[in-house]
Amino acid sequence: MLRVTINGGTREFDEGISILDALRQISVEVPTLCYDKRLTPYGGCRLCIVHVAGVVRPVTACNTELADGMVIETHTAEIEELRRTLLRLLARQYPAAAVSRFPEKEFHRYLRNYAIEGDCLGAQDAELLDEAHPYIHVDMSRCVYCYRCVRICDEVQGQFVWQVWNRGDQTRIKPDSGTTLRESSCVSCGACVDACPSGALEDKSILARGLPTAWTKTTCPYCGTGCEMEVGVREGRIVSVKPAMDAPVNRGHLCVKGRYAFDFVQAADRITEPMIREAGHWRPVSWEEAIAFTAGELKRILDRSGPDSIGVLGSARATNEENYLTQKFARVAIGTNNVDCCARVCHAPTAAAMKLMLGTGAATNSFHDIERARTILVCGSNTTENHPIVGARIKQAKLAGANLIVIDPRRIELSHYADVHLQPHPGTNIPLFNAIAQVIVEEGLLDQGFAVGRVAELDEFRQFVEQWTPERAEALCGVRADLIREAARLYATAKPGMCFHGLGMTEHTQGTESVMSLVNLALLTGNIGKPGSGINPLRGQNNVQGSAHMGCEPSNLTGFVAIEDGRSLFESVWHAPVPGSKGLNLMSMMDAAEGGRLKALFAIGYDIFLTNANANATRRALTSVELMVVQDMFMNETAREFGTVFFPAASSFEKRGTFMNAERRVQMVRRAIDPVGQSKPDWEIICMLARAMGKGEFFDYTSPDDIWNEIRKVWKAGSGISYSRLEDAGLQWPCPSEDHPGTQVLHSEAFPIGKKAALRRIDYKPTTEAISEEFPFLLTTGRTLYQFNAGTMTMRTENVALRSTDTLDMSPQDAEHLGLSGGEMVRVRSHWGERVLPIRISTAVTTGELFATFHDQSVFLNYVTSAHGDGYVGSPEYKVTAVCVEQA
Amino acid sequence: MNREEHRSDIESFYHLSGEDVGRKACQGMACFVARHLKPERWNEATSQCPKVYCLGKCYIAPSAGFDDERPRVEVHSRSPIVLERIAKGVARSLDSYRRGGGYEALESALARPPEEIVRELELSGLRGRGGAGFSTGKKWRSVFTERSAEKYVVGNADEGDPGAYIDRFIIEDDPHALIEGMAIAAYAVGARKGYVYLRAEYPDARAVLEEAIIEARREGFLGERVRRTDFDFDVEVVVGQGSYVCGEETALLNSIEARRPEVRARPPYPTSEGLFGKPTLVNNVETLASVVWIARKGGVAYSALGSATSKGTKVVSLNSLFHRPGLYEIEFGVTVRHIVEELGGGLKSGRIKGLIIGGPLAGVIPPELFDTPFGFDELHAIGASVGHGGVVAFDEYTPIAELMHHVFEFGAWESCGECTPCRLGSRYIEQTFRKVLENGRTALKDRSELDEVVKALAMTSLCGHGSGLAEFARSVSRYYGKELQSCFA
Repeated sequence: MLRVTINGGTREFDEGISILDALRQISVEVPTLCYDKRLTPYGGCRLCIVHVAGVVRPVTACNTELADGMVIETHTAEIEELRRTLLRLLARQYPAAAVSRFPEKEFHRYLRNYAIEGDCLGAQDAELLDEAHPYIHVDMSRCVYCYRCVRICDEVQGQFVWQVWNRGDQTRIKPDSGTTLRESSCVSCGACVDACPSGALEDKSILARGLPTAWTKTTCPYCGTGCEMEVGVREGRIVSVKPAMDAPVNRGHLCVKGRYAFDFVQAADRITEPMIREAGHWRPVSWEEAIAFTAGELKRILDRSGPDSIGVLGSARATNEENYLTQKFARVAIGTNNVDCCARVCHAPTAAAMKLMLGTGAATNSFHDIERARTILVCGSNTTENHPIVGARIKQAKLAGANLIVIDPRRIELSHYADVHLQPHPGTNIPLFNAIAQVIVEEGLLDQGFAVGRVAELDEFRQFVEQWTPERAEALCGVRADLIREAARLYATAKPGMCFHGLGMTEHTQGTESVMSLVNLALLTGNIGKPGSGINPLRGQNNVQGSAHMGCEPSNLTGFVAIEDGRSLFESVWHAPVPGSKGLNLMSMMDAAEGGRLKALFAIGYDIFLTNANANATRRALTSVELMVVQDMFMNETAREFGTVFFPAASSFEKRGTFMNAERRVQMVRRAIDPVGQSKPDWEIICMLARAMGKGEFFDYTSPDDIWNEIRKVWKAGSGISYSRLEDAGLQWPCPSEDHPGTQVLHSEAFPIGKKAALRRIDYKPTTEAISEEFPFLLTTGRTLYQFNAGTMTMRTENVALRSTDTLDMSPQDAEHLGLSGGEMVRVRSHWGERVLPIRISTAVTTGELFATFHDQSVFLNYVTSAHGDGYVGSPEYKVTAVCVEQA
Repeated sequence: MNREEHRSDIESFYHLSGEDVGRKACQGMACFVARHLKPERWNEATSQCPKVYCLGKCYIAPSAGFDDERPRVEVHSRSPIVLERIAKGVARSLDSYRRGGGYEALESALARPPEEIVRELELSGLRGRGGAGFSTGKKWRSVFTERSAEKYVVGNADEGDPGAYIDRFIIEDDPHALIEGMAIAAYAVGARKGYVYLRAEYPDARAVLEEAIIEARREGFLGERVRRTDFDFDVEVVVGQGSYVCGEETALLNSIEARRPEVRARPPYPTSEGLFGKPTLVNNVETLASVVWIARKGGVAYSALGSATSKGTKVVSLNSLFHRPGLYEIEFGVTVRHIVEELGGGLKSGRIKGLIIGGPLAGVIPPELFDTPFGFDELHAIGASVGHGGVVAFDEYTPIAELMHHVFEFGAWESCGECTPCRLGSRYIEQTFRKVLENGRTALKDRSELDEVVKALAMTSLCGHGSGLAEFARSVSRYYGKELQSCFA
């Protein structure tokens, strides 16, 4: 401890902090412009100067380390006069108008505190104004040269967009385009806006709609990273979203989606009334009528065809509480295990593989471990676009000295930072991982100690993997054997090594086995059960981890417990039987519908028609369904084509509950605005429908709190997670009791399945999607930074201005060969269907391979994707489709 | 993401990128105070773009890049340390350097344990000749003690202080002294790579130095296994692109790394985290040249020269207003008056009004203080500085308002822009005196604002650029108060 005297009082502080940290701890405010706790102290504005006894000149508090015995004065007349002089120098350059319009800005507050607002003599310079970006207003006439924008772009986002030009009083800050921010390499994360103390950078939404009058902390509605944010509201409308500064995952940072893409909430075409389709036309009705009609139809079908003729789909966008109710609705109100969610089409293979091999179907480690890993292995994940906050943290870790291995067919952004980039042909992950395992075994790089105590079937695996030489893999994956060896050595020796994987691993016919072969690598090298290691799936949607984990899964109940293992507990809590028949997953529901066995489908927050692979098959299935109940915010493609009833749902900004992120962290979702129009939270709608079906006694909840407390009774690993604890901070399960701190790293001492986990011997079974004379290209599908999944939300925001449509990305060589140029419309055709979309020439894709996004309903790319699915869990093979391309 | 690639934003920091200084007229301080000697030359200097501050030809100021006269060079110390060969004539070639015993110091050093060389430096009492006057031995010891496989030695040849042309002539006339000094330093502290950061205004020095490096490599004084020992060392020349602040060692390191050359916060000091994050020894050219003598004759012999707290010799460079401008190697301890009157022979252009030693980032010395001994602490005590050793006298042709304007125009132009007081304060003061020059005077209230800004510059600047400018302004106020006050009414 350090004993320090500040303004006459003696206090104790921890070692290793700055003077400014100490001042803030005891709430002594000194002005600062360049200080930002997310950044390396800079010491440029000089406003945080304090007097330290024995030091002639004042010292800057932000970058001076606190030392024992210091005697500090923060507000002597001389120090205050110096601050005033510095502020006056800045004021003389500064336009006066802004000061009164935005009184809350740090700089404006200081001008007021030092009574020098009247010294603002600067003028607005039209040359320094840039209004081209859809979200960010740039007016460098108001720059006070704290360089926080530059530094946060470098040190947090890692984009290096803002540049400092010239020197001295001619210094100017410009985007790397040299022109507008919009034309620069900016990824629109808004970090620079949040850092700006004067408003030289400002959200356009605030300029247009005014400052928020209330802020509500909640969890982001987009990807599974689980960023926390502050939602700013004025007159019942969201006017701004800012990152939560103390959030453990995003630590004061957001991406363009979380930060700016919130206007879907108030989109003009949001459906805010219940509707029933009659003779092809939607008719707005009352909630009573919509619920009564639907309950009647469901009962009619139940009576006639039995409970297993009905399917229910939960939403990865809805809360844990709502997904819990969804599966309970299916099992108790309907009496079927036909319940699933969109995890089926993304990480179901991960959950299955990890559950099977390690005992828990979720990430073993935490985002907190990124900065603890010496080597980070990213496979099948375009992290900087799809999980931008994780991507930014990986980039910063790399810049700080970590090793990075990227496995991806495309030259994604992270590959430019990678020590080794392996580019396998789509669908050849298994040979690649087997070969990496072979090198680890062959070169004696395995962790002997770990192998003895924690790994089973090593000898069998040794024998199996012998044949998988890098040379053999090279012939199949197209990755040079020496690069495979280099990656293997790096991962096995520069430890701890941490794996992140995305859908490039799972959306294959051997998706589950791909993940297994990756888990093998972690077991061989002992890269599991330790900080900075593990197998960490990057979950695609805010609550996809939660929706499956809450039991929207035909064969598992809440907590991912197999039905027979959980039956007695659930029946005792529910006071209702758990159905015995085997449930259908999403894919088999489609087959059953097409075969006439599934009569009704209730889809909550899930546009299955647009997003399922092989849309022609989905169309045939949904055409056969008698009752299609859609619960959503928008007239999605499933509703538009097949809907019978439409229940308008509230967005996550309009309700309370919890989400579960990709690292098992349960975090609060809080209501920032009232539900728009007549829309209601999903849980309320489900309860209404259950009551109308005569099952009200099982759905007697008055709040999400009630539902959560019931979940804690059936889910042991979550029973210690109470709302009151979550109000302070999220918690990672397992958290079995209220005094348990939550679990950052799984499997430290043992696996839930025992002390040892067994290696799996995975043979390679190539997909039948292969290039041919007719279909000479392999198409991979995925997402982009600016759009999210079905586009339901992002396509209704200004993100459209940043990326307006799906494109077919093609290498320059292929484009030249086919005589195609960028922007040209092309027809992409597979054995399964065809679509037309514009081409984009991209050096990120390899010759013979194509990449396209699937966000745009007008493109509807899933008419092209195939009917193949993963052998274990049926997830569609979105990542490999043989296609041809021709001019449209 | 490669931060070392060619970047226009970073190049925009500098004002001489791609410029040929050979055709430019100079407006450094020595040229400014001598502007009445050749008014047309001065007009040319102030109207050209970009500005050039100090070509190191102060002995014939106002000068231009094509002036190629050599200065007078004299040794006035008991032992010649730095100027011996230069005073006898040019010793550019390796042969001529070796004839005078060149590289013997390195050869004998290589036969001793490195720590012994560090010890010699500690015993010598040598203080850095680049301006700060920090103990060279301590610096060497710090780098020596660092445990790192990679270390660097950087020769700071960014002699930017207007009025100084010492390092220029060491490099141009005796380049192997610098190379040998760097090699000894590298051997002592455990570095294998050296850089010389040379200012853009010295194109001739660059050509000479690069030729000398090639010669030294050819003879095995640089490169792998220097003189068949296990010591590898090579030197690379990095040429500046026009920026005064790059003479500050951390800005200089940023410049070599192709980063924006802003001053780095300390700690960490370059001795522990310097170039590319590795322990780095940054020494000025004259310091490194002195190292050669110390390595040969010993630290104790060196410390016998000079005064109690300023050991050894210093080269001073006198400007063109003196009767006898040129380079003089003196021992510390002689009076300022001795330099002005005995060596320089007084002014040829009129009555001396003041003296600016070590560039404009320190105090002016008025004639009544000329009896002050020339030494680090003695000059510091009167608000002045040894600095680089440039000695610029000005006469009564120069009014104080014009001098203030000149210095703050220079200061504002060369400010890096990182900290508020220097970025805006130096310009504010320049503007104040511009008003005085345009209108004869400015409002009385501007005086109190001037004092406030000078105080902020002195007390809150991030580096010595701002605080040095403030020192200058304060000394003007102290010694020329009446004339200064007449600017405000």
